[in-house]
Amino acid sequence: MPNHDLSHDREGVTFFGTLSAAVTHDMKNFLAIINENAGLLGDLAARARNGHFPMDPQKAALISEKIRKQVNRADEMIKQFNRFSHSMDHAQETVDMEEMVHLVAGLAERIIRHHEVFLTVTPAPVPCRIQGHRFDLLHLIFRAFEITCEILDKTPEDTQKQVTVSFGSDPLVPEICFMCDTGTASGWDTLFDDPKDRALLDRVNMHMKKAATGSGFCLCKTCKTQ
Amino acid sequence: MSEKVLLVDDEKDFLDIMSERMQARGMTVKTADSADKALAMLENESFDAIVMDFKMPGMDGIQALKNIKNQKPELQIILLTGYATVEKTVEAMKIGATDLLEKPADLEALAARIKQAKAEKMLLVEKQTEEKIKDILQRFGG
Repeated sequence: MPNHDLSHDREGVTFFGTLSAAVTHDMKNFLAIINENAGLLGDLAARARNGHFPMDPQKAALISEKIRKQVNRADEMIKQFNRFSHSMDHAQETVDMEEMVHLVAGLAERIIRHHEVFLTVTPAPVPCRIQGHRFDLLHLIFRAFEITCEILDKTPEDTQKQVTVSFGSDPLVPEICFMCDTGTASGWDTLFDDPKDRALLDRVNMHMKKAATGSGFCLCKTCKTQ
Repeated sequence: MSEKVLLVDDEKDFLDIMSERMQARGMTVKTADSADKALAMLENESFDAIVMDFKMPGMDGIQALKNIKNQKPELQIILLTGYATVEKTVEAMKIGATDLLEKPADLEALAARIKQAKAEKMLLVEKQTEEKIKDILQRFGG
């Protein structure tokens, strides 16, 4: 097998591992909250059994609701993770990029939150569809988030780190833009410069163009690289 | 006397439920949703132990641990984490963590660990006081 294929595989596995670690960490948190709520129900039942306090039905209902909330969070995350895992099933297909951005944003929420970045995804004015390999496109979106977060890490601590993802208005020219709303961050001059990132862009046959304002970039099929 | 604990985690639901259950066991519990907030609270208040998530937004767990230990060397820090790797555990212990527990943790085991941590902290404080007295006696007693 040629070397570039091996490195492609390695990058893909690293990406899969990073998202898996974030998801399983979230799952552990959901389980911890469910565990504590179940424990609290046990505490209340024990106190009621000892005749100290009668079981308050409203309190029990509240705890039950809290458990349901965590189960729903966990269920949503598992569904997203399952969709992500199946992204490797097909070689080439038409992929809805808005859906993919939401999927990566959901799965990488913990990672993005760790950078203290607030993310807004604006609805696409027209469908943003790209022909490509779903897994590679998800990987590209994730790299776009990672690169944006790494740049914003260098901003002063008290700066609000707000990133908006938007989509182009021409369905024939699909475009996804990652813009930093503060407009003060530096470091946007060397984007997707790493050979691995350039290889990823080549694989999905996409380009990166820097935003005119200087605080962001767009990924597109037909734009010229700047 | 009850144990005074600072609980630090970025999951608000977890903070609420844990503090409720710990208080029901006679502990005095204050909460913070970030390491930065915890450090700010430590400037004005004294605690027997900190129970802290290892991975939170902003300051990472290792840095938070170092900063807390710099600020209050006698303070006992119990780390709670989703996954405790051997490397992370060793690194945390080297910096001065009292223990590292995995989520979901058994509250009775955590409560026992907090009690033990308080006793360890008191021993450390006693030792520090003894050393201070020895130092004063040496300086003024010839």
